[in-house]
This record gives sequence, C-alpha cells and structure tokens, in this order.
Amino acid sequence: MDDSLFNSLSTELRRGTLTLAVLSQLQKPQYGYSLVQLLERNGIAMEQSTLYPLLRRLEKQELVTSSWDTTESRPRKYYVLSEYGKEIFGQLKNEWEKTSQELYNLLKGEGPDELD
Amino acid sequence: MNLIDLYIGEVTRRLPEKNRQDIALELRSAIEDMLPEDPSEQDVKEVLAEMGNPAVLASGYRDKPMHLIGPRYFDLYISLLKLILPIAITVTLIVVIVVAIFTNSGETTIIDATVSLIGDAISASVNAAMQVFFWLTLVIALIERADRSSSQAPMTMNSKEWTPDDLKEVVYIPKEKAISKFEIAGSLIWTVIWTAGYFNADRLLGVYHNRGEGLEFVAPTFNQDVLLSYWPLIILMLVLEIALAVYKWREGQWTRRVAIFNAVVQIVSTGIIVLILTNSKLVNQAFLDEISSVFGGTSGLSWTIGAIILTVVVVAVSDMYQGFRKAMISPAK
Repeated sequence: MDDSLFNSLSTELRRGTLTLAVLSQLQKPQYGYSLVQLLERNGIAMEQSTLYPLLRRLEKQELVTSSWDTTESRPRKYYVLSEYGKEIFGQLKNEWEKTSQELYNLLKGEGPDELD
Repeated sequence: MNLIDLYIGEVTRRLPEKNRQDIALELRSAIEDMLPEDPSEQDVKEVLAEMGNPAVLASGYRDKPMHLIGPRYFDLYISLLKLILPIAITVTLIVVIVVAIFTNSGETTIIDATVSLIGDAISASVNAAMQVFFWLTLVIALIERADRSSSQAPMTMNSKEWTPDDLKEVVYIPKEKAISKFEIAGSLIWTVIWTAGYFNADRLLGVYHNRGEGLEFVAPTFNQDVLLSYWPLIILMLVLEIALAVYKWREGQWTRRVAIFNAVVQIVSTGIIVLILTNSKLVNQAFLDEISSVFGGTSGLSWTIGAIILTVVVVAVSDMYQGFRKAMISPAK
C-alpha cells in the first residue's frame, strides 16, 4: 500500500518535468521513437501514451514545428523547437535550475543525521 | 484487419475528423519503429500494451476533460444541489398533498387515502430529486465545457473566484440558533395539509361505519358551512404561515425579529382556532346523533373541545417561548 502511494507521488513529481525533458531533446529534429530512445538513454522513462499527445500539444502551442519526412522506408514526423520554443525552453531551464537549487538547499538543510 | 489497424482505429474514432489521418500516420510509424523485423503477433501485442489503452491515448490528444464535473465547478455544483434539492422536494410534496386532498372523492377512507398519498409522495419526491440532479448536472457540465478561461481556481456561488471579501457574506450560525431547512419544509407542508384538509373537512373527517365491504362515511364531524364562513381568516392564517416560513428561510436563524413575527403568527392563529372551535354551530348535528348513539350522550364534547383549545394554547405559548429563547442566544464571535 505504501508502495502505491509512493509511486503516485513520484509520478506526480516527475510529471511536471516531462515537458522540459522533451523540449531539451528537440534542439535537433527528432521523431517520436527516436525521442523515446533518447530520453530512455538518459534515464527518463515516459509513457508512449503521454509522449505523442504531448508532442502534438507543444506543436499546437507553437513551441515546436513538425514536418513529415517521406524519403525513408516509412514516413516519419519530425519535431524541432521553434524560435518561440527556444525562448520558452531557456526560461523554463532557468526556472528549473533555480528550483532544483532551492530544493537541494532545503533537502540538505534537513541534515543526514535526521535520517535513519 | 490486423491488430495495429484495429488499435489505430480505436484511437482515431475518438478524435475529431480533421486530425485523424495525421495522428493515424504518426501512430503507425511510431508502432512500426518499436517493432522488430518481421514481428510475431506476440511482439505486436507487447508494443500495443506499451502504447496503452486507446481511450487514454485518445483523451491525451483531445484537450477535453475526461470528467463530467471537474474541481473548478465541483464545489459550486454540490452547493447548488444542497440548495435546490430541499426546495424541489418540498414544493413537490406540497403539490402532491394539495392535489390528493382536493381530488379525494370521499369514496375511500382516510386511511386508504393516506397510504396511497404516502406512495405518491415518495415516488414524486424521488422523481423530483432525479430531475434536479439530472438537469443541474447537465447544466454545470455544459458550463464547464463552455468555460474558456485557463484558470483552474474553483468557482464560488456568485460564479466568480474566491476573494477575501467573500468572507463578509459568510454568516456563522450557532447550531442551537439555526432554523433547519427540514423544520421550515415540515411546517410548510403541515400548513398546506391542514388548510386543504380544512376546506375538505366534510369529506375527510367524520364517523365511519364498517358495513362489511370496507368503511362507509356516515356523518362529517363539522358543519362545512360554518367552516367555510371563516375563509378570510383561514386565508389570513395561511398567508401569515407562508410568510413566516419564507422569512425564516431567508434569515436562517432565530433573531428577535423572527421571534416577534413568530409570536404574532402564533397569537393570530390561536385566536382564529379558538374562535372557530367555540362556535356553537361548528359540530354537525348528524355527527352528534351518531356520537350519542355510541357513547350514550354528548356531554364529553365540550370537554374534548376544551382540551383541544388548551393544547393549542399550550403549544403556541411554548413555541413563542422557544422562539424568544433561541433569539436570545448570542451569536458566536
């Protein structure tokens, strides 16, 4: 029971970071599956059912642009950051660095001696 | 049709027409990317399992919520339900009772009529509650879908977001001082019952004889002419009682004004009841004859009327006293 609570809390904790993770990997054009692999290689596991709708939403918000590549054996949809996307990504990145620094300090302040 | 086609179909049929083709193409390419060369059915199933429930995937694509009423409107929805349900049920009960009393042909006994009335009242209340529930849910769900604002903050009763100024509207009422909605609904229903009963007393109240095939109505207790001659006073009582109920509903608690209003209504009603009960022509002669044939006389009658008057006065005085007592309780700081 504790395990499922932990899982739901940790999923919630990670959820907000997914957009940032995806944006960070779209400096160069990527298609869905290559993005999954790229993220997985960096230890970020993402549900497929979350990723594809997320990419589409980012496109709708004009943070990324997409194009179909039909030169290869199967057509693939490539996504890459737009100018606006780069700008937002920069801001989000700063925000994340600030937050993680703050949290790091908070967590460190708790002290290792209070943990068993 | 293979599994992949079926899966993509399951996703896209839940999506708007214009996006279907593009999403289908992308999903197919994504699924094929994940499959090994020359995949077995087992491989396909594993990949589809990883893609997850088509309904969930489709809901990710649609921006529409996967709930009927979300957190933004839930509190407003529950508050409105709590407000409207009691009113709807009270009004329904009143209508059912009035209709039952006025359509009573006098052929059924008061017991049968009451039993069928209770049945009607229950089914009509359930029906009214379902209607309120359905329409309110529908309206709030539609409003939520029409709400284009990006804010997630919950709505309050004035259909705006909460601000500290809303606290000024909050009245904290101590429990002993509060007037419950049940009490008001109950007194309204009771008022309606006795008024409707009063004007139909000649068909409801009287002596019944058991003559084999059920009860037979023999003689009404009261002279209906006498009862009807008091109609302006009865209407006055009715109006006063309803006004008092509405006023109590609005105030929600016993205040000095509510207690004074209540006292006025009690005094006027008691006066009218005593006036009617002491009318010497009130009781029907046929009824008196029936009574004397059973009890061998009508000497108990004046005692009975006296006891009724005493009861009415005691109840009224105690009600007035309770009203003032509750009004004196100081509101919590």
